[in-house]
Amino acid sequence: MTRPFLGFGLGLRTEHYQFVLDNKPDVDWFEILSENYMVPGGKPLDFLDKIRDEYPMVMHGVSLSIGSTDPLDMDYLNGLKQLIHRVEPHWLSDHLCWTSVDHTNSHDLLPLPYNEKTIEHIVSRISQVQDFLGRQILIENLSSYVTYNNSEMTEWQFLNEIARRADCLVLLDINNIFVSAHNHSFDPLHYIQGIDSDRVMQFHLAGHSYSDKLIIDTHDHDVCDPVWDLYEQALKRFGAVSTMIERDDDIPEFDILRAELAVAEKIAAKTLSVAELKISHAKASGVA
Amino acid sequence: MSDLKELQHEFLNYLLQKPSSITNNIISDQQLSAQGRLDMYAHGYRLRLKEAIETDYEQLHAYLGDETFDRLMDHYIDLTLSHHPSLRYYSQGLPTHLAEIEPWKETPELAEIASIEKAFCDSFDSADCIAASVQDLSEIDPNSWPNLKVKFHDSVQLLTLEYNSFQIWQALSDEEVPPTRAKDSTTWLIWRSDLISNYVALAEAELSALNTMLAGGDFSALCEVLLDHYEESETPQQAVFLLQEWLSSQMICNIAITND
Ligand SMILES: [Fe+2]
Repeated sequence: MTRPFLGFGLGLRTEHYQFVLDNKPDVDWFEILSENYMVPGGKPLDFLDKIRDEYPMVMHGVSLSIGSTDPLDMDYLNGLKQLIHRVEPHWLSDHLCWTSVDHTNSHDLLPLPYNEKTIEHIVSRISQVQDFLGRQILIENLSSYVTYNNSEMTEWQFLNEIARRADCLVLLDINNIFVSAHNHSFDPLHYIQGIDSDRVMQFHLAGHSYSDKLIIDTHDHDVCDPVWDLYEQALKRFGAVSTMIERDDDIPEFDILRAELAVAEKIAAKTLSVAELKISHAKASGVA
Repeated sequence: MSDLKELQHEFLNYLLQKPSSITNNIISDQQLSAQGRLDMYAHGYRLRLKEAIETDYEQLHAYLGDETFDRLMDHYIDLTLSHHPSLRYYSQGLPTHLAEIEPWKETPELAEIASIEKAFCDSFDSADCIAASVQDLSEIDPNSWPNLKVKFHDSVQLLTLEYNSFQIWQALSDEEVPPTRAKDSTTWLIWRSDLISNYVALAEAELSALNTMLAGGDFSALCEVLLDHYEESETPQQAVFLLQEWLSSQMICNIAITND
């Protein structure tokens, strides 16, 4: 498969709006947090439109709640569809998780039991979402802190199976693999080797922090060395995949994040050929 | 999917600190117990909601201090579930919480400060429109004026306060020592123009005028309500003056002649 490659991007954060507009920094693309722009109007949408004029964008959501047993939230999906219309993103993603039940939002990415029944449930919901939006979505692996006793397979088997059956794409978060590997004592390389290559459309990189026993996915630190190593392994396995750094807390000046992104570029340049790293904006997602 | 539904329901109960059987579904290992693992989520749940409240009520936080504000947030979270997929809307009920529930309602300026901050939040991302201009008004045939109605920008809000809470809010925003609470009944107008929120205290005539027009009244209704404040001969002129003021402040999206 020829995978579109947007190059190296950053998460667009409110702290950097003005800087981005004033300086037009050299970044290939931005990822926006969809929910931040699902508002009626005002500054967020004004900045969004202006920055979209200058940069390719992808959309990343946290509230699709694809694994929930509540009915799909059609208000949310309609809002998402409107935003897609406005942004014309290269693609959009959300997480392989549930966030709400009993019509109550946890505002957290909560894990699912990895078994056949859950797969069936999620495949049917992803298909509904893709039909409604008229395009494929990307689903992202989580950082998690619990394992259910009714899980029957590894997370990567679970993710592969869902992506195949729902015909959706995958956003692979390299940091989340590292965090979950530590929290659940598996080898992160097995995860990288186990994921179907042809569906991986985007990478996330991020920092994390340590609690007493577990690693927490806080997005408030630099990307750490073992995650950079894992990123290199992922490039070897998947080839050129659009890469971005997520920073959600303790947000530094834009230039500091840009310098961190340069580390990713350097690793990619060392691992892949110039031809492989040629940016191609071909639309990834046709009608599902 | 009844198993999964039950599992999610029990998980949520754990987050909400209600009785829950979810620990039975989670594997404990040498690294950490099921409960220790679930606590990461329970802790995260509260933290995330608190972050959302703190972002929206910065001056109330400053007024109450860290400790009391934290107690308020815990109290609010205990009584308030999030029914909206975006955290942006979680804290919308805080002014009501403060106005109606002990012990907060004993300190009435708290609800008022919160309602000021909520009004600014709402103004910040309310729907855009292209503001109508004084020129648009001048192009309307004067014979049609009695039936003239306006549609205000969604950010336009009236906030009636019984105390000097706006002064308290203002001082806190300027990082100055706030005045002590005092009775001071005033209505404030809050609206957004050029993406910036504005506020102004309203004189009685303008308040009646705005109330009339916001309720869908037309120009003749506007003149009529102004009779309480001005000589009859002055009212049409005053009404036009107010309309022009609102138009040049970008408070109006649309002017229309309606014959109903
Ligand atoms: Fe991520």
